[in-house]
Amino acid sequence: MSSCFRRIFAVAGNTFLEAVRQKVFAVLLLFGLVMVVGANYFTEFSFQEQFKFLKDLGYAAISLTGLLVGLLGAAQLIPGEIERRTILTALSRPLRRWEFVVGKYFGLTSLLAVMVGIMALAVWGVLKWKEVQLLGSEGTDPAVVAAIRAESMDPRLIQAVLLVGVKLAVVAALAVFFSTIATSTTFVIAMTLVVYLIGHLQSVAREQWLETGEAAGWGVRIFLAAVALLIPDFNLYNLIDEIVAGNAVAWRTTIEVIGYSAVYTSILLAAAALAFEGRDI
Amino acid sequence: MTSAVRTQGLRKEFPLGWFRGRVLALESLEMEVKRGEVFGLLGPNGSGKSTAMKLILGLLRPTAGNAEVCGYRAGTISARRQIGFLPENPYFPTFLSGAELVRYYGKLSGMGGARLEARVVELLELVRLGGEAGKRSLRTYSKGMLQRAGLAGALVGDPEILMLDEPTAGVDPAGSREIRDLILELKARGKTVIFSSHLLEQVEDVADRVIILHRGQKLREGRLEELLTKKSEWEVKVHGLKEDGRKELRAWLENRGAQVMREGAPRDRLEDYFLRSLPEEKRR
Repeated sequence: MSSCFRRIFAVAGNTFLEAVRQKVFAVLLLFGLVMVVGANYFTEFSFQEQFKFLKDLGYAAISLTGLLVGLLGAAQLIPGEIERRTILTALSRPLRRWEFVVGKYFGLTSLLAVMVGIMALAVWGVLKWKEVQLLGSEGTDPAVVAAIRAESMDPRLIQAVLLVGVKLAVVAALAVFFSTIATSTTFVIAMTLVVYLIGHLQSVAREQWLETGEAAGWGVRIFLAAVALLIPDFNLYNLIDEIVAGNAVAWRTTIEVIGYSAVYTSILLAAAALAFEGRDI
Repeated sequence: MTSAVRTQGLRKEFPLGWFRGRVLALESLEMEVKRGEVFGLLGPNGSGKSTAMKLILGLLRPTAGNAEVCGYRAGTISARRQIGFLPENPYFPTFLSGAELVRYYGKLSGMGGARLEARVVELLELVRLGGEAGKRSLRTYSKGMLQRAGLAGALVGDPEILMLDEPTAGVDPAGSREIRDLILELKARGKTVIFSSHLLEQVEDVADRVIILHRGQKLREGRLEELLTKKSEWEVKVHGLKEDGRKELRAWLENRGAQVMREGAPRDRLEDYFLRSLPEEKRR
């Protein structure tokens, strides 16, 4: 393995290990799992509604837990290291600053991947559990049995897990970018949240920018263009809701969203590395 | 052969914030450290010692001037490969154990595999953190142990230069003596050691050359013998001289025109006395 990869993996591994050894992340994971498992006790609906409820709540729990872990993890990344001054000993090594930034990002996304994986398994387990419960209570009508099995073993849920994962990966890249220019953990959390929320309105800004002609002033047009171009469009990930609602989403669309996320992530990491390069430590 | 470290007109200003101007931390520092010497950066707090070190490490960008490490521009990967750094306070990831810390720093230096594992064991033994001590979390370490673990981490890439920022600050006399002995051992192994301190007695024990900084400016530079030796005075230390002999000696000196400035039984240094008072195993 080349020295460059070894150094990036060392930073990523250390970031991951730090998070794993902190109780707060275990508590957040537990909170998410309780949400997922607890949803199984809502039984006043038809079986189709019960499955939809489980999937809705399951994916909301993964997204929320992932967002919290991503924000807290990112806040620890660079400002946390600067506050604790552990960054001095790391960056005094023969380690390029961009390697440090990329390593931190990989460490955080590994943590998110593990959490999303564990919670997705929990959602799958709860769906199977519900299947067993319903097969016991709803009788043996082959049509009903097939419908229950189709709801619990929906392969489209893999698409939803992938989309939740890449959405969190973009949030992590945003947080890493802000952590390279921030002086405090609060700033990183606040800015990432603000951009995350604006990202859900980004498509509105883009449409306004494209549609407003000469009528709008230059200031407004520049602002709308900046929002449309600089901020990722988080509405794209609403495909997750479509999947959970039982609608088919083409794999091609999913792959396009993953590609969009990869491009945005690369741009954000490049900007983060550039910002961090000239920073006094 | 190129110098270990050379700075030319090295200057650093820090911005104080919007519309609040800048503060000068280091003013045109000219400094040369030869290979294999122990070099002390002296000065009170805020004199620019840490700033100079961070500039040499590439952690800060100079406002003007430049620094070189073994002929490489400071801050480049080649330059940092030559330096092992121990910061002022033990700023280490405390969720790691001593061995994990040294291993992590080794990986950051591009090392890996069996070579790194052997190096981790060797260095932990060198700083007397081998065996069970190396497996304990850094949270459970004393300040002296943390400094020793940090020193092992600084040495892991087998650097040419060791840069130690206030290595004995907050460490008890026994720990301080250990670090001093380690510096001398590293010098004996041919390493260049640059360290900063405001504890002047300790510097005197180990440094070959020093510079004295004050408010970012260099006040003095030179070899310790040259700076500290009072050439117009002469000192003789004797053992077993009785009272009548002392009187005779004093009279003999005065007859030759010498002025006796001080005489009497010499006092021990408190640090030496303290260390001698400790049981043998605690002294090490």
